[in-house]
Amino acid sequence: MNLSFLSPLFLIGLAAIALPIIAHLISCKSSLKRSFPAVKFLLSSQGELASTSRIKDLLFLLLRALILVLIVLIFAKPAMFSFSQKIDTAPLSMAIVIDNSFSMGYENNFKNAKNKALERVDALPDGSFALIEPLVPNNESESHLSESKNLLRKSIKELELSFSFTNNEQRLQDIYSSLLNSPNERKQVLLITDFQKNGWVSEDLSKPWLELINISNDTKPPNHAVSGIELNNINNSTRIQSRISNFSTDLVKELLTITQLDKEEIKEFVNIEPQDSKTTAANFTNDSTSQTATGLVKTANDKLKIDDVRYFILNDKDESKILIVDGDPREDSRLSETYYLARALETISENTATNTTVLDNNSVLDEELSVYEIIYLANIGELTPRFAEELEKFVAQGGTAVMFLGNRVSIGPYNTMLKNIMPGELLTIKEENLSLAPSSSSIFTRDITDRANQVRINKLFNISLHPESEVLIKATDDTPFLIKNKHDNGNVFVFSSTADTSWNNFSITPVFLPVIKMIHDLANSERNKSRHYFVGEHVKIEMVEEKDGAFVIDPNGKEYQMNLESKEFQDTWVPGIYMVKRTGEITDQFVVNVDPKESNLEKISIPSIEKDPEHKDNLVKVFKELWRCFLWGVIALFVSEAVFRGLFS
Amino acid sequence: MSNEILDIETALRLKGFNFRASSKVSGYKSGIHKSSYKGISPDFLDHKEYSRGDELKQIDWRLYGRHDRLYVKKFEDEVNMRWCILIDQSASMNYGDGKYNKFEYAKRLCATLAYLLLKQGDSVGLVAFSESDIEIIPPKAGSHFITPILNKLETLQPSGSTGLKDPILKALEAYRSDASFVIISDLLIDTDTVEQSIKLIRNSRKEISLFQVLHPDEMEFDFSGSIEFEDLETAEKVIVDTGSLRHTYRQKMMEFIDHIKRICHENETRYVLSSTNQTIEKSLIQIADK
Repeated sequence: MNLSFLSPLFLIGLAAIALPIIAHLISCKSSLKRSFPAVKFLLSSQGELASTSRIKDLLFLLLRALILVLIVLIFAKPAMFSFSQKIDTAPLSMAIVIDNSFSMGYENNFKNAKNKALERVDALPDGSFALIEPLVPNNESESHLSESKNLLRKSIKELELSFSFTNNEQRLQDIYSSLLNSPNERKQVLLITDFQKNGWVSEDLSKPWLELINISNDTKPPNHAVSGIELNNINNSTRIQSRISNFSTDLVKELLTITQLDKEEIKEFVNIEPQDSKTTAANFTNDSTSQTATGLVKTANDKLKIDDVRYFILNDKDESKILIVDGDPREDSRLSETYYLARALETISENTATNTTVLDNNSVLDEELSVYEIIYLANIGELTPRFAEELEKFVAQGGTAVMFLGNRVSIGPYNTMLKNIMPGELLTIKEENLSLAPSSSSIFTRDITDRANQVRINKLFNISLHPESEVLIKATDDTPFLIKNKHDNGNVFVFSSTADTSWNNFSITPVFLPVIKMIHDLANSERNKSRHYFVGEHVKIEMVEEKDGAFVIDPNGKEYQMNLESKEFQDTWVPGIYMVKRTGEITDQFVVNVDPKESNLEKISIPSIEKDPEHKDNLVKVFKELWRCFLWGVIALFVSEAVFRGLFS
Repeated sequence: MSNEILDIETALRLKGFNFRASSKVSGYKSGIHKSSYKGISPDFLDHKEYSRGDELKQIDWRLYGRHDRLYVKKFEDEVNMRWCILIDQSASMNYGDGKYNKFEYAKRLCATLAYLLLKQGDSVGLVAFSESDIEIIPPKAGSHFITPILNKLETLQPSGSTGLKDPILKALEAYRSDASFVIISDLLIDTDTVEQSIKLIRNSRKEISLFQVLHPDEMEFDFSGSIEFEDLETAEKVIVDTGSLRHTYRQKMMEFIDHIKRICHENETRYVLSSTNQTIEKSLIQIADK
């Protein structure tokens, strides 16, 4: 905004300000001179009054000079002006779209964008219609075409920053389409944005109906963000690794990073190279009795605050429900297929709460699998299509299936019924004296790798692996021993040999327990991930028939009622920790974070609009007269002058 | 010229008044003042109409019966006395226009008083003083002596600053025997100096009458606007907003006058405040007896 005068000739009158100053100077310099005998009395009297008299004189001089200045300025018609797109006087229908993606929270960009929008509303020709739209829609987005400028101004003021982003081109196209049935022939979409790269797919902005206003002059504003969190449970401790990214071209020095888990917090200072990331790690001891822990990682704030914090939820302390299906049960449990497996899980349960159920091959057919987190299938011989389907569904929903292959396994049914979740196709059984080769997989510790050669294997399945599957441990002849396959949200681990000692001694070596524990931790880790969402993502809420239904409480404390029909919670507009309440108790939690893609404030590669000289020609000055403010100023000064005169007389 | 200084009208109006010493004095010729010498022939001399200050026991009640007027008998010797009139000729006295000029007023006051004193048979001397200049005319009696006094007053020009102590010391040296001192000055000096000067005279057992001559401007400070004042004696300059200063100035001037009055009262000195806009008669009558 700039100041200008509509009648600048009147500014000549400013010379009048010289009058009181000259009068003051003349009165000082050429005051009447007089000889007087009693000057000593004058001096002693004046000594008491001199300072107040001087201040009084200066105050009156200032007030009177200001009054003159303001009167002259009123006649000169002062006005603030800003450049605005040259506007046809013909009425139009306009959609004013304000970019409210969270990158607009940088410094005052969003506020400035709103001010620009207000200016454009003021400048709309009579008879025009407009609607105010946020670029990123939210649940409260409901705007209507209106001719009332007051209503439009209100809509602008009510707009709020989103914590998400959208497909900008598509959104603009949709908004333009909504204008097609509007009253005026001329239709226009005005977008006020920072042109941050994220959200622009094609970067094609050459639409005749689209007018753009760039709100940010900085081509690459500096920003840092907490861009990722990795949660790991190791024995009795939780390791939280945070990735802090520096998107600026300058080094970030000694950035304070705080990791909070429940009420504990760990602070660290990090230096991050320009356009680089740094991973910090904080270790917490699991001495808390609570089952679910929440926390956050935050850094010292920069000009874009929203991405300086990330929330997480850690629920490894939940009781893990584990199902062991014994395909080869024996009366003497020591000879059972799952004897050592059950012992290993008992040991694990000393550190991690587990609830293990052991069923045989037949009983499992009636079992509801979705209540479990991990299902161990030890040498399962008979598969039914229904069980295979249930198992596939279980894995797809994020469950972990662990299979031990043995003599009861039928290659055909496995390859057909479980082909979607198996890491490969079962071929033949290999009989050879092998041991395990040291693993190169990063998920195993050196301790396991070093002891791998203690495992002796007599029999194992040859498996033709799918390309996407991952061999975690293999035998000395490179035959895969432990293979991992990702399926939808879950994982399948396949041991190509048995869990008992009939085909190998794996279950009685020191390697067995750590490997089972590792699978257990990985499963929990996956389960943790399943409770982390981005702003705007829909969250499945498990609904069972309940009297009062379920409520989701957002981080601001607002409650949303869920019902049996609405199994997805859609109002994830605010980052933070959300709670699910059933029958008055908090039964579940999930976290919502901003998408770190929006943290990189790099702009799209279009030329800046305001630097375009051709575009500049299309700009006109929009004036806002200010003489009323000046008039009030004059009145205030007159009153002040009168008050001071009364005080000093 | 002399006639302008001498206020003849006032002198005539005050002809019936006597300017007396309040205590007995040692004169060398017969006059109206009581002699401190106990009379060699304290016989009845004459009657005199009763005036304030005469003793009641000396009233001649027989004459009162005859004439229905009070007369007192004159028994004692009454002598003339010597007067020393000190007139301030410092620059500060040169303020005011025309007849309201302080020095002109002081000269008229001095001339008229000298005339009346000579007329009543006393001898009068003159000391014109400033800090830098002291001129002494020794006391003489006889009406004709008014001429040299008037001539001297004519020649005086106010200059320099006010210095009271030195002229008084010199006058005291010149008037060793009994004399009555009359000081005509604006006294715009340090009040301590005024007090010390008065005490010098009083310690010499001499009487003092003090005329403080001030211009109405000095007392009222009735100016308006912003004025640059320059001191008549020190040439010190000061610009003042007269309106805002008036009240404080008046207060300070009144305090000063009151202080001088208090000093006079404490030292048994007759004090007369003579504003130049009041008549000479009004000033003189305050030290005269009828």
